[in-house]
Amino acid sequence: MWIYEKKLEYPVKIKNPNPKLAQVIISQLGGPDGELAASMRYLHQRYSCPYDEVTGILTDVGTEELAHLEMVAAILHQLTRNMSEEEIKNSPFATYFVDHTAGVYPVAASGVPFDMKYVGVKGDMLTDLYEDLAADATIT
Amino acid sequence: MIDNRNARMNSGMQNNCGGGCNDASCQNLKKKLKIVDFSIIDTALYLNAYPNCAEALEHYHRLIGEKEALVAEINEKCGPMTMYGNKSRTEWNWVDGPWPWEADAN
Repeated sequence: MWIYEKKLEYPVKIKNPNPKLAQVIISQLGGPDGELAASMRYLHQRYSCPYDEVTGILTDVGTEELAHLEMVAAILHQLTRNMSEEEIKNSPFATYFVDHTAGVYPVAASGVPFDMKYVGVKGDMLTDLYEDLAADATIT
Repeated sequence: MIDNRNARMNSGMQNNCGGGCNDASCQNLKKKLKIVDFSIIDTALYLNAYPNCAEALEHYHRLIGEKEALVAEINEKCGPMTMYGNKSRTEWNWVDGPWPWEADAN
């Protein structure tokens, strides 16, 4: 596996930094219902899947979630360009900044780093698809 | 902070428009590619669920034709879209900026 295409799946062009917003959006990167969790979930569930069509969907959507991961990272990267000291200090982003500065690190808004415990893989297609419904249908 | 990005571009090495090309015409070509790719993805996902849909498959091939033409043009004029598309025999443009997550690339 592996071709990397040097473009975002959908454009991201942010004019003004906003660390306050970054602090919330970061859950879409490293949180339990974020893109990293989604891609790990689908890519690992496909190995035990008995139907080609479903394996195809898990493969394609699983890799697409990596593309989404890149878009969210792009959003976070652009939101945290050239922040002033005031902007950092006066936002909840300050605690993230201590350990990561303007780096992009998969963590939830709560500060909990990404955990594979968010992902369920039971080796049974129906069980795994229910897990997918629970995760992807969640409204954050 | 050390910023060595685009050092090769700034060192004066040339290809069609000076390192990894991001001028208006290249940005325009890449935008068209992003649009057609978005359609291809949706069509392919649909075909995953309905592999016997002849109409969807026909639509897919039409879009792929468009994509292939765009990729060939972009690889030639602007720099490679994938690791497999570096056309220059003298430059490794694959590592040239801007990178997809930077505002300039969007």
